[in-house]
Amino acid sequence: MSQERKKRWVMVVDPDKCIDCKACDVACKRENGMDAGTDQQVYRNWITSKGVEGTYPYLKERFEPSQCQHCQNPPCVKVCPTSASYQTEDGLVAIDYKRCIVCASCILACPYDARYKSPQTKVIDKCTFCAHRIAEGKLPACVDTCPTKVRVFGDLNDPNSEVARLLATRHYRVLKPEQGTKPSLFYLS
Amino acid sequence: MNTMTMNNKLINTRGDMIWALMAGALCLVGLAGLGNYLLQGHDAYNVYRQVPWGILISTYVFFAVCCTGLCLVSSLGHVFGFKNFEGIGKRAIAMAIIALVSGFVVIGLELGRPLALIYNLLSPNPSAPIWWMGTLYSIYLGVLLVEFTLMVRGMHKYVGYASLAGFIGGVAANSNLGSVFGLLDARPFWQGPFLPISIIVTAAISGCAIVILLMAHRYAREKMPEDIQRAVTATSKIFALLLGVLMFFEFWKVMSAIYGTVPGQYDAMMILLKGPLAFNYWGLEILLGMVVPFVLLMSSGGRSLGTAVVAAISTLIGLFFMRYNMVVAGQLVPLRAEVDAVGPSGLLSYTPSLTEIAITLGGFGLCLALYMAADRYFNLDEQGH
Repeated sequence: MSQERKKRWVMVVDPDKCIDCKACDVACKRENGMDAGTDQQVYRNWITSKGVEGTYPYLKERFEPSQCQHCQNPPCVKVCPTSASYQTEDGLVAIDYKRCIVCASCILACPYDARYKSPQTKVIDKCTFCAHRIAEGKLPACVDTCPTKVRVFGDLNDPNSEVARLLATRHYRVLKPEQGTKPSLFYLS
Repeated sequence: MNTMTMNNKLINTRGDMIWALMAGALCLVGLAGLGNYLLQGHDAYNVYRQVPWGILISTYVFFAVCCTGLCLVSSLGHVFGFKNFEGIGKRAIAMAIIALVSGFVVIGLELGRPLALIYNLLSPNPSAPIWWMGTLYSIYLGVLLVEFTLMVRGMHKYVGYASLAGFIGGVAANSNLGSVFGLLDARPFWQGPFLPISIIVTAAISGCAIVILLMAHRYAREKMPEDIQRAVTATSKIFALLLGVLMFFEFWKVMSAIYGTVPGQYDAMMILLKGPLAFNYWGLEILLGMVVPFVLLMSSGGRSLGTAVVAAISTLIGLFFMRYNMVVAGQLVPLRAEVDAVGPSGLLSYTPSLTEIAITLGGFGLCLALYMAADRYFNLDEQGH
């Protein structure tokens, strides 16, 4: 009987391809049943403008899409008193909602501001890498919907995966490396 | 039982009536806040994604620190053998229990799902400072109840052991409370060993201030026994000394935050020094909390009870705002400066909602009411050994 290789789900982001259309945000909300209403604090992923570069008429605005980094050393998991936040075997940071006391210490521990309180469930929530879709062999909604293919998702432990090939051949960085969180989101540079 | 009869100790005098009315009014305000919370849930609070901890957290910290402080002052008698302090022990421990219960009520209304706290036992996470803080303060409450029971029953032989356990439990729980903030690496203003260590000093200061107030109230209409008088004078002197230590700590806290201009730490300190919390910091935390009481106590040599009472009230107001400033300033520097919520100042903002303020006031009302009830139903004066 062959032993199945452990997966490590990661996302490779090419920010140069981002056009700030926010389709990822919309797809995420639709896929995960998030009704933000008028509350601008309710989001799992976001796009940050990194400012305008160059001189007129040769201008370029850079964007940086982001979300939960599914850290390998997640501070949100460490501070959760009831173990509601935990890591799965394949490298995802997940939440067992029934255990959440909504103390919000995970929100404060996350250096990426990736967590929020869900207006629907009234507990802390965040990006799950669409774990329910991964289980069905599908891509996360934000990856699937992106018109310019900013995000590439896959198993880093599979040397033939696109994410493994990209990280082997391109320069990349992670956000806030000084925090020692070992993120699973890699930004091509 | 009719609790309003005039020979009832709860309202024996006009002063008691005023205290009872004040406690009742504050409790009613708190109940109004509770009602709104039950109707609207967390939406009734002004905390939000980037500032998830508000005045209810700082009020809980205030109560919990006061609890430890009372235990520390009380332990001077039963643990460290200063005989004069044995006379204040029972009253201080009663108030410590009441302060902690009030704090638990306030934080219970801050937690979104307090019933899920059962998972603190079912799936504990010992790497979480909040788990330790909650667990230690719960055990500590049990120890204090045992200690108080032993005191009430006059089992002095065992009070010393219970007091020692209370002292150790108090220090452990209190420093863990500091670690809830100090171990949040993402927040440079809180991160580090300073809070878990310095919080003990502020606890002892709260304890001294409350003991002075309790004794002044107890002996407002009769002559204070000599041993109590000596204990109160000594408490005033310790109080002054600790205020000096606190000012020394505060100086170096400010210096270390602004010297290197570390992002997150420097910006948060500037919020206190000359930002939106500057009045809270200079006027309430520093002036009322430290300078005024220190000058008053030093000028009176700790011998004037009236001066000590003013110093104690001033300090407690200052310490309340010290907690508020610490909790809020640590969150006003955004983790992502680009988010829409950030105004032109580049900072986030937080002002407590009326519901949060009402629950805070209700916490104080509950504390006052419980103390009056304890004073009514128990003899809080120490019996002879």
